[in-house]
Amino acid sequence: MSRVVLNNVTRNFGAIEAVKDLSMTINDGEFVVLLGPTGAGKTTTLRLIAGLEKPDRGTVEIAGTDVTAMAPTRRDVAFVFQQYSLYPHYTVFDNMAFPLRAPGRNLTPEQIKKRVHEIAELLRIESKLENRATQLSGGEMQRVSIGRALVRQPEIFLMDEPLSSLDAKLREDLRVELKRIQRELNATILYVTHDQLEAMTMADRIGVLSSGKLVQLDEPRKVYETPSNIYAAMRLGSPQINILDASSLKDTDLPANTHSVGVRPEDIVLGSANGTLAKVLTVEHLGVETVILMESEGRNIRAMLGGDAPLAEGDETSFAIREGSAICFDRQGEIIS
Amino acid sequence: MSSSVSSPDKPRTVTGKVFALSDRAIAWLFISPTILLLLAINIFPLVWTIYLSFTNYRANQPGRAIRWVGTRNYERLLGNEDIWGYLQATAHFVLWTMLLQVVIGFGLALLINRNFKGASFWTTVILIPMMLSPAVVGVFWTYIYQPQTGIFSYIVNFFADVGPLDMIGSVDLAPWSIIIVDTWMWTPYIMLLCLAGLRSIPDYLYEAAEIDRANAWQKFFYITLPRVMPFLMLAVLFRGIENFKMFDMVVELTSGGPGSTTEVASINLKREAFEKWRTGYSSAFAIILFVTVFGLSNIYVKALNKVKQ
Repeated sequence: MSRVVLNNVTRNFGAIEAVKDLSMTINDGEFVVLLGPTGAGKTTTLRLIAGLEKPDRGTVEIAGTDVTAMAPTRRDVAFVFQQYSLYPHYTVFDNMAFPLRAPGRNLTPEQIKKRVHEIAELLRIESKLENRATQLSGGEMQRVSIGRALVRQPEIFLMDEPLSSLDAKLREDLRVELKRIQRELNATILYVTHDQLEAMTMADRIGVLSSGKLVQLDEPRKVYETPSNIYAAMRLGSPQINILDASSLKDTDLPANTHSVGVRPEDIVLGSANGTLAKVLTVEHLGVETVILMESEGRNIRAMLGGDAPLAEGDETSFAIREGSAICFDRQGEIIS
Repeated sequence: MSSSVSSPDKPRTVTGKVFALSDRAIAWLFISPTILLLLAINIFPLVWTIYLSFTNYRANQPGRAIRWVGTRNYERLLGNEDIWGYLQATAHFVLWTMLLQVVIGFGLALLINRNFKGASFWTTVILIPMMLSPAVVGVFWTYIYQPQTGIFSYIVNFFADVGPLDMIGSVDLAPWSIIIVDTWMWTPYIMLLCLAGLRSIPDYLYEAAEIDRANAWQKFFYITLPRVMPFLMLAVLFRGIENFKMFDMVVELTSGGPGSTTEVASINLKREAFEKWRTGYSSAFAIILFVTVFGLSNIYVKALNKVKQ
């Protein structure tokens, strides 16, 4: 069983607390995505599990063993770095075979060859095996990096924004690919990203990090529908959720201690008879949907409509909130359940 | 300015004339001084030397008629066993200095790269020999090498009781005396370039290797060596060419002696050209050396480009 458990892990860099009292469990065969902006402690968390950083406090457990004091070599983890960390003077095959040739693994050349070919096929880079690492395109290099992790069967795969340096089309392809491979191999993956789309589409569970603290760890739909606080609500969904003052709303059946209300752009209804007046600032046609930015009483409000929304910049309209869609937050920004 | 703009086909001012030139003409305008200079101080002397190498010209008798002798100078040179001896002495010097400097220089770079306390201080200390003049280095090493009073002999005798050590006067040791001095002086240069190579290796490569359970040797052969290799080879190219034509330091130290054990090609060339005044003959020798260095370094650069890929 390759369960990974973090118990109250803290890591400081000088005065900066990169990871604060973090506790979480990644179950066997689970795809967990850590989501957060730059500096939220995502990468540090990965490095702590890999052993590239040592925690100041707390323990790390992999498959039931306390590995806190162990060197990276002794922990059975695979790491995909944000920069493709390939050995530039070797072929793709040699790069992928590298972890299998490590001392103590005792694999025969035939076994290594078989394993590398299997994974190369999975990642569709079989035709590139004899190329040098430097002769590849960015997407191919990153696939080799992922392949080098996949040839091993480690307890956990740690991936640090592996798709961030690729172009949009390739990112989409690899995203689907990675999810498929994870299911096929039943691999345990902890994946770091700041891209909410990657998090939503790939994760079994999403962990939202905010300056070193775990804000919420739940299934993507749950985080989307019932974010534990305003911060988590803002991390998921594009365009971003609207946060409105409760006092400015005409809706009266909100819980008494409601301070602000989160409304997803798709839950804004336009043109309702008793709605609030608003002026359209911009209209973005994205094909199947249209994103509209409005101004009402000094606040910006984003709404998402169908592809054929008959609105133009400067139009006057009115909006209302779809019934039952408002997410209520208290004065501290925490959700009211 | 304004006049040249208003009537572009009839520029009157200098600026206007320049503006009216084509890009190609302007490019020629910029590079022509360099080309003229190169022609005057590089290309012409080279061509002139090639011409002289086929004559019996003597520079100390300018009035004498110059006679074309065909390939006689070359035939004499290549048939002369002494010449092969000088070339051998040169090759011995170049190969050993390069080998020692690469091994020691790379080693020092690896040490300095560990970033221990005072690393930058030691870097500066190590770099000092490189900044001295080769002639000065040659002179003071003759004192260091003094069999009776020199510190070199003293240190060797401290560890092994061999009696006064005459590095410069002994036929066996003299070639090594110049190799040691050159290594002492130029190892820092190799170290510096290796260090630049080492510093260019990102940490995450080593971290990736560590997670892949690589040992220290694998890290060295898969990451460090391939990354430093282009820098190292470039350093060897520069130093190799320099040492092939080594002159000043050897003249000060041994002047080619004892006998002709340390008479490297450049020293013999100077003797033939400016002591015996056999200008035609020494021109032929110079051309032979030029072709050798040029050919070798071309092959070497090809290899270097392959490593760089």
